[in-house]
Amino acid sequence: MTDPVLSLSDVRLSLAGNAGMVDILRDITLDVAKGETVGLVGPSGSGKSSLLMLMGGLERASSGSVLALGHDLTGLGEDALARFRREHMGVVFQSFHLIPTMTALENVATPLELAGVPDAFDRAAAELAMVGLADRVDHYPSQMSGGEQQRVALARAAAPRPDILLADEPTGNLDGSTGEAIMDLLFGLRDRHGATLVLVTHARELAERCDRVIRLRDGAIDAASQAQAAE
Amino acid sequence: MSLKIASRIAARELRGGLRGFRVFLACLSLGVAAIAAVGTVRESIGQGLQREGAVILGGDAAIGLTYRFAEPEERAWMESVADEVSEIVDFRSMAVVERDGDTERGLTQVKGVDAAYPIYGETVLEPEMPLAAALDGAGGLPGAVMDRVLVDRLGLAPGDTFRMGTQDFHLSAILAREPDGAAGGFGLGPRTLVRTEALADSGLLQPGTLFETSYRLRLPPGTDVAQTAALAENALDGAGLRWQDRRNGAPGVSEFVDRLGAFLVLVGLAGLAVGGVGVSAAVRAYLEGKTGVIATLKTLGADRATVFQTYLVQIGVLTLLGLLIGLALGALAPLIFAPIIEARLPVPAAFGLYPRPLAEAALYGGLAALLFTIWPLARTEDIRAATLFRDAAVRAGGWPRPVWIGVTLLLLAVLIGAAAILSGLLTLTLWSALGMLAAFVTLVLAAEGVRRLARRGARTRALRGRSTARMALGSVGGPGAETTSVVLSLGLGLSVLAAIGQIDSNLRGAIARDLPDVAPSYFVVDIQNDQLEGFRARLDANPAVETVESAPMLRGIITQINGRPAAETAGDHWVLEGDRGITYSEAPPDGAVITAGTWWDADYSGPPQVSFAAEEAEEMGLELGDMLTINVLGRDIDAEVTSFREVDFSTAGIGFILSMNPGALAGAPHTHIATVYAEEAAEGAILRDLAEAYPNITAIRVRDAIDRVTDVLGGIAAAVTYGALATLITGGIVLIGAAAAGVRARTYEAAVLKTLGATRGSILANFALRSGLLGAAAGIVAIIAGGIAGWAVTTFVMNTDYVFEPVSAISIVAAGVLATLAAGLVFAWGPLSARPARVLRARE
Repeated sequence: MTDPVLSLSDVRLSLAGNAGMVDILRDITLDVAKGETVGLVGPSGSGKSSLLMLMGGLERASSGSVLALGHDLTGLGEDALARFRREHMGVVFQSFHLIPTMTALENVATPLELAGVPDAFDRAAAELAMVGLADRVDHYPSQMSGGEQQRVALARAAAPRPDILLADEPTGNLDGSTGEAIMDLLFGLRDRHGATLVLVTHARELAERCDRVIRLRDGAIDAASQAQAAE
Repeated sequence: MSLKIASRIAARELRGGLRGFRVFLACLSLGVAAIAAVGTVRESIGQGLQREGAVILGGDAAIGLTYRFAEPEERAWMESVADEVSEIVDFRSMAVVERDGDTERGLTQVKGVDAAYPIYGETVLEPEMPLAAALDGAGGLPGAVMDRVLVDRLGLAPGDTFRMGTQDFHLSAILAREPDGAAGGFGLGPRTLVRTEALADSGLLQPGTLFETSYRLRLPPGTDVAQTAALAENALDGAGLRWQDRRNGAPGVSEFVDRLGAFLVLVGLAGLAVGGVGVSAAVRAYLEGKTGVIATLKTLGADRATVFQTYLVQIGVLTLLGLLIGLALGALAPLIFAPIIEARLPVPAAFGLYPRPLAEAALYGGLAALLFTIWPLARTEDIRAATLFRDAAVRAGGWPRPVWIGVTLLLLAVLIGAAAILSGLLTLTLWSALGMLAAFVTLVLAAEGVRRLARRGARTRALRGRSTARMALGSVGGPGAETTSVVLSLGLGLSVLAAIGQIDSNLRGAIARDLPDVAPSYFVVDIQNDQLEGFRARLDANPAVETVESAPMLRGIITQINGRPAAETAGDHWVLEGDRGITYSEAPPDGAVITAGTWWDADYSGPPQVSFAAEEAEEMGLELGDMLTINVLGRDIDAEVTSFREVDFSTAGIGFILSMNPGALAGAPHTHIATVYAEEAAEGAILRDLAEAYPNITAIRVRDAIDRVTDVLGGIAAAVTYGALATLITGGIVLIGAAAAGVRARTYEAAVLKTLGATRGSILANFALRSGLLGAAAGIVAIIAGGIAGWAVTTFVMNTDYVFEPVSAISIVAAGVLATLAAGLVFAWGPLSARPARVLRARE
């Protein structure tokens, strides 16, 4: 395996709950190679999304190290993490998380602007056209369907041409055919930009399209996929 | 039936506590508390005046005369009805102190008393001593007591000697409290108290001198005061007397307190309107959070009425709670601060719990709460059961059903009507309401304008790549933004402040800034006929004196118009309140403009004729040919109105409402008044020269009088500012409420932006910029609205020219920007420090 794009070593995540500290993730050791597509699967509450958030620097590990493109995310501050994400990562959520006060075009252009891209709006418009929303650029999220909102979210994640695409159940809130279309788009974007893709999913057919599937149970990588994870 | 079920559901819903209603309760209770507190203070003063009526008046009844003492038969009548009679004489004079060759002079309001004074109450002196002993004097000189202000100004101390007219007095003590001090109303000089008999050789009470007498009566216990008043009118009819009794010991003060109180209640209502914005926003936010519950209720079979009633009951319970908190605060605050308030009042106040002002405040609060919650409540009707499945949120736009628009208009009419009736200031209430409505509409339009501009601005090419500015503008212009609520609440509060700022500065400016340019240096009164020629010659010879104007001056009361009591024709016009200055002359004054009728010939010797000030005549409904009965020095003069003329009082020059032909007043003892226009630097020397030559005359320095008037106005302005403070605090709470309500949205936005790579600095700049934009928009509208209100009040109420006052206006905008910025930044802290993963996961 070439140098991994993502490398997690002995990662532990504990959060304060009502009954004291709760272990969300434990002993996570995992490498993701450049260009690879990894599916994270497991029952609800197994820690899939938390693991994805750790990879994106959106959550901070309690112990262990999270390396992304050779940078240890656990050692970076909030703003350094934000800068790292805008240069190297795109994130797609189950609930889209578009900014309600911005149009589709503005939502997609925002990460480009933050990254200082000079033709942010042109690129955002092109990205929206690519996901089939050329005629909805001036619509606000509240004026679009769930499928359309997720397409905007995909365009927004892909627009800065990230090295790593993280997707948290991107079809979880969508019906079957819409979800399928979104997945086609997601994989299409991965192929076009040559990005590494890590996605959390419950959908078996989606998991089957991944190069590798890692199963989580009770906050740890399932023994059966442990060997694969360490590859 | 549905109300019963609705109440049960409401009770279950309210078990969740008052979270989300803090702003609602704060806005409502603060508005009600301000109105209740003002009303309670007003009522307390009213009760105090009534309770202490006899002390303030100086007797159970008082008979006032102008220019003269009571005739023996009048005095005999008084003694026949009263157990005790005390005679008071009141006039202005100059207190003079000679020290080491220098002479100090100070204007003073002299009160000559007899041994019976005071019939009621107690005179407090420093050092403590009986008044009689103090007025006995020492070293062969009659005694006097003097207000501390004048004692300090003249550099005197008890035991020193000073002079009034040609009589020296021994200053026995400082006058710390004069029991009947408030009844006299506004005086230009501090008080000096002496025995009337000690004035005999002072030369100050010569025939024609401007003085007033007051006979205080102690009536036998159980006397019917109203009946005695009627007896007095019969017995002393036509003698030009003024009757007052303990039922209203200080009519001027009580009227002033009533009017100021009513005005402050109107200011309080403005505060309630500002709070209404917060109340409305809180209810809207609460109901938006209840969309799922409402949709579920409808799924379970609740009809529109049941849902509406469910939330009406909840809001009703909360309104009741807000009213109770407000009333408790409003009733207790005056009691707690009673010693401080009392110390600043010139009259006694009986602080206590009075139901009327509390009921008034509760009425306003209840109506305002209903008015501002009815629209959000009506929107519950639009929520459909299908909302549960389609995840559609209640949209803020749209009009409720016509019936709710009708109910809103009705509530508004009842609220304004109640304010007009209860304040007694119909015109001012209607104009204030109109102003508030106009400001409200302007602010809503301005918010929409700002929103559209921001939306357009966010899309301009110029801002592409400037993500912070574009995001801030996009947020201000985007859907569901807090633009309207912030601009409205802050703008309304700032508009009230800006209006008060403009009115205050114009009020002070009109007197303190503009008047001195045209006003004379001195008003001189009590110039005897035989002194006039010398007086004028002396001043004409002085090169520092620019102009001297003089006119004969008497005082009289208009008692009848066309044979009927004057008030029946002219109502309670101020010209009929007490006595007025009257002059006479052969020819119209220089530059006088006769607007109707003709002036009498120079040699006219027929029946008395009078020329009346045109504006006042019109207000009183006078016409040429009307007959006025004017009581001068106890003698009735019937005069025909033969001309109207313009009189300009704004220059502080000599201006008389009434001017008669010389023959009408022939033989009546009188003096002259004069105005002296001179260079400021020479004013001191002129005064010294005149005072030495004519010890009996009194010169009033116009600049001092202006200062005194400005002081009084400053006090009024301070009271109004305190009233407006409640509005400002309410505005602040609404603003904080709006900022707090936006925290959830900002936290989410910050989390998404961080995910996209935004640093905390850029997010903070974004939040700060949008707060600043909203604050500036509200401030600018406030300047315009405040300016228009200021212009309207100065032009139509105060009848003076309006000058835009930029300093207070700019301060208002700055305050607006800073307040929103501060609120925005304080509430940005949480969103900035939240971890994006947790925020975003919570929304999954």
